[in-house]
Amino acid sequence: MNALFTTLATATATAAPRLTGGFWLPQASSTSAASVDWMFNAITWLSYFFFVLIVGIMLVFIVKYRQRGREVRAGGPTHHTALEVTWTVIPLLLSVVIFYLGFKGYLDHVTPPQDAYQIDVTAQQWSWNFRHPNGAQTTDLYVPADRPVKLVMRSEDVLHSLYIPDFRVKKDVVPGRYSTLWFNAPTPTGEDVTLAHNLFCTEYCGKDHSDMNRKVFVLAQADFDIWAENERTKLERTPTDELYWRVGPILYKRCVSCHTLDGTPGTGPSWGPHDGLPSMWERTRQGLQKFADGTSLKDLIGPGKEFEVPEDYLRNSILQPGKHLVAPYGNAMPTFQGQLSNKAIDALIGFMKHLDEFDSKGVWKKTPPPSAPAAEPKKTADNR
Amino acid sequence: MTTLDATQGRLNIEASADNYLTHTRGVLSWILTLDHKRIGVMYLFAVLSSFFVGGVFALLVRTKLLWPDAVSWMTKEQYNQLFTLHGAVMVFLVIIPSIPAALGNFVLPIMLGAKDVAFPRLNLFSFWLWLAGAACVIASLLAGSFDTGWTFYTPYSTRTEFGGVVWVLTGVFILGFSSIFTGMNFIVTIHKLRPPGMTWFRMPLFLWAIYATALIQVLATPVLAITLSLLAIERMFHIGIFDPAMGGDPVLFQHFFWFYSHPAVYIMILPGMGIISEIIAVHSHRHIFGYRFIAFSSVAIAIFSFLVWGHHMFVSGQSSLMNTIFSAITFSVAIPSAIKVFNWLGTLYKGSISLTTPMLYGLSFLFLFTIGGLTGIHLGTLNVDIHLHDTYFVVAHFHYVMMGSALIAMIGGLHHWWPKMFGRMYSEFWGAIACGLVFVGFNVTFFTQFMLGSHGMPRRYYLYQPEYQIYHVISTLGAYTMAIGFFITAMYLIHSLFRGKLAPANPWGGRSLEWQCPSPPPHDNFPTTPRVGDCYDFSIVRWDEKEGGYIVDRTLDPELNPNAPKRSSH
Repeated sequence: MNALFTTLATATATAAPRLTGGFWLPQASSTSAASVDWMFNAITWLSYFFFVLIVGIMLVFIVKYRQRGREVRAGGPTHHTALEVTWTVIPLLLSVVIFYLGFKGYLDHVTPPQDAYQIDVTAQQWSWNFRHPNGAQTTDLYVPADRPVKLVMRSEDVLHSLYIPDFRVKKDVVPGRYSTLWFNAPTPTGEDVTLAHNLFCTEYCGKDHSDMNRKVFVLAQADFDIWAENERTKLERTPTDELYWRVGPILYKRCVSCHTLDGTPGTGPSWGPHDGLPSMWERTRQGLQKFADGTSLKDLIGPGKEFEVPEDYLRNSILQPGKHLVAPYGNAMPTFQGQLSNKAIDALIGFMKHLDEFDSKGVWKKTPPPSAPAAEPKKTADNR
Repeated sequence: MTTLDATQGRLNIEASADNYLTHTRGVLSWILTLDHKRIGVMYLFAVLSSFFVGGVFALLVRTKLLWPDAVSWMTKEQYNQLFTLHGAVMVFLVIIPSIPAALGNFVLPIMLGAKDVAFPRLNLFSFWLWLAGAACVIASLLAGSFDTGWTFYTPYSTRTEFGGVVWVLTGVFILGFSSIFTGMNFIVTIHKLRPPGMTWFRMPLFLWAIYATALIQVLATPVLAITLSLLAIERMFHIGIFDPAMGGDPVLFQHFFWFYSHPAVYIMILPGMGIISEIIAVHSHRHIFGYRFIAFSSVAIAIFSFLVWGHHMFVSGQSSLMNTIFSAITFSVAIPSAIKVFNWLGTLYKGSISLTTPMLYGLSFLFLFTIGGLTGIHLGTLNVDIHLHDTYFVVAHFHYVMMGSALIAMIGGLHHWWPKMFGRMYSEFWGAIACGLVFVGFNVTFFTQFMLGSHGMPRRYYLYQPEYQIYHVISTLGAYTMAIGFFITAMYLIHSLFRGKLAPANPWGGRSLEWQCPSPPPHDNFPTTPRVGDCYDFSIVRWDEKEGGYIVDRTLDPELNPNAPKRSSH
């Protein structure tokens, strides 16, 4: 318990993030949130009324008609048809009204406008990928402000569900079919992570279900256009030797829920040194990796063997993860075939090679050189 | 021979030392017993043991949730297994069998004045099946456990690497048959073994509730058996039924699963409502208000329960039209539930309310079920449910209904019939204290979760955002309070078995037949089937100092004694 109070004390002292919004609901940050909130509040007030009525009457009766001694009064009416019909009909009428209002709000809430900006969403255990029309891909969700946004979602493996509480939207992501939801977020948050909205997976999807939470950044249209263009050309603009620290950590966010960097066990092998083995890159290069079928990586890498060079093995592991299973891990990793370009894979392999330059969270410990050629383009018109 | 004793006006059953507990001795006399009372007591022991285990799982889960980050003493896998086990144990091993199989088995035949249920051997077989099912659940833990959630949603349940899935599916399959057999037995017993004078609308309302429950058990449980078999087949033989990678449809599983599991919610709550009708009438010492409305509302709930399963799937990708239809039908369930609450309130009016421990649980039920029912409106409303689905709001709602209502009713019924079952009184003082702790602890635990959920906290999360922590801490402290309450309950109940005051036949002033046979009842309940009158007419019940309890003066009932003085009817 002491540890708990210390945690609480520090949490309060360091200005822990607070819940936004009011007593019941978080901040309302989409155009359709208002009608959901109105409905929620209406039902809640109705509930207060009936709760006070029922419990109030109950308490009055308990006091007024309490048993004195061992009396058996056995009085009072046994039924009263008019009264009983009344308290059948009133809830019935209320139900019809609530149903109708909820139904009407629902149709507005789920029918996307024609001109919505579409983002394709792929969910898999345990990461989200958001792909924009210009080809830019991210792991957090970036959306333009004050414009309808439609998410077209599919799952690579099991059920997931995309939920943004501040927008009051939620939809299951089902393997084998597309599902969709839409929203319009009028107020920009900028790229400030403390203002960004939470995005949760709300359908239980296995071990790291609770890690599938990301942020939603709402950018004003002008900022969003610049952001999207930057994001699309990020890989192309980045010189090859800077890929690993500019792009590597961003891509690693899709790997983080299964592969740690500091040797902590996870769903997949850690990329850092662990259990007497060197880092992922070193154990690949030296052929130390052992497989579930008893073979070792030494037998697979080299001229004329399955993989010419160690990099080829790593690339293959990303694209065909089930082919060679490292002992004692199961076949849990989804394929990234078609999701990562050659340059992106280069960036990830580079990231593994320079693991000592990153901290355990994947943040680069060095400072970028002053004249960074691939710095974000300035927000001017000719950069669009 | 049952006769009317002219001086006492009571069913004249010879008081002897022989009762169902002492009738025969030895372990085999229990394992092979055909006596519904002994089977009920064995069920009770089994269910309460499972409740203890499921409760420990819940406390472990709640303890982890004191911290938003990973903790060293519980991994994600262990957490996922624990909430899964908590759900599966509480639903399949505790709440579904608790009232019908444990209390119902004991009380139902006595309420009917019968010697036993219609098929005593089937009844024993059903208990053995329960044991076999429970054994399979334990085997699943040894075979590698499972982490699918109690809902077994595909395709995760087809693919998860934990080895215990097929074992637990087998266990639930077998438990389903146990439930079906109990239901069949009760339907036949109520149809065929009612005593002279007991027409359908003269039955105690507990029997109406058990009857409605039994109908659901018999009609819905086979669907669960089929669904779980299909899932096991898919998992073992890779025949694509639900997994899209093999050509199946995962949403189909949800339809199948909820086609059983929504009615199952009423298998859990309806008998609870029946107990509350008994407790409130008996401890208010007054005729139940609006008998027919309560009886019909039980049947209405049983019928509607089959038509609303789609409200668990508003965000699953099912079409808007289906969502609309299911939302509309869902509201229809609200009405019979509301009728019952108002009628219970009407029963308190002009009664003689004694605040005994069973009554405290009964009143707690009214309080908690009102909250559970009203928050159901939020979830039945389409656009509001989109926000609340799969958050802690849902968790809080179904705990208010399943635990705050069904289980509290079960604990209330246990206290109501405990003197009858074991012939001993427990400490009312400690009973009131424990009930208070459970009531306060329950609200602290779960009311907080409504707020967590409406602020967006998803369910089944090991890690969570730090801003939710304060709510989780309050909720966990509430759970500890509840645990203390249940611990005290266990202590004074066990104590009463050995040291409790001997119970009179009718300690509370009940009117139905079970209060007219000795506590504990003899092996045969009644020497011959007694006639009954209106089982809620309390005007012939009075306190008897010599007896130390109430007596039902049958000489005053004109239906049982033609010479009885005429009374004005109510």
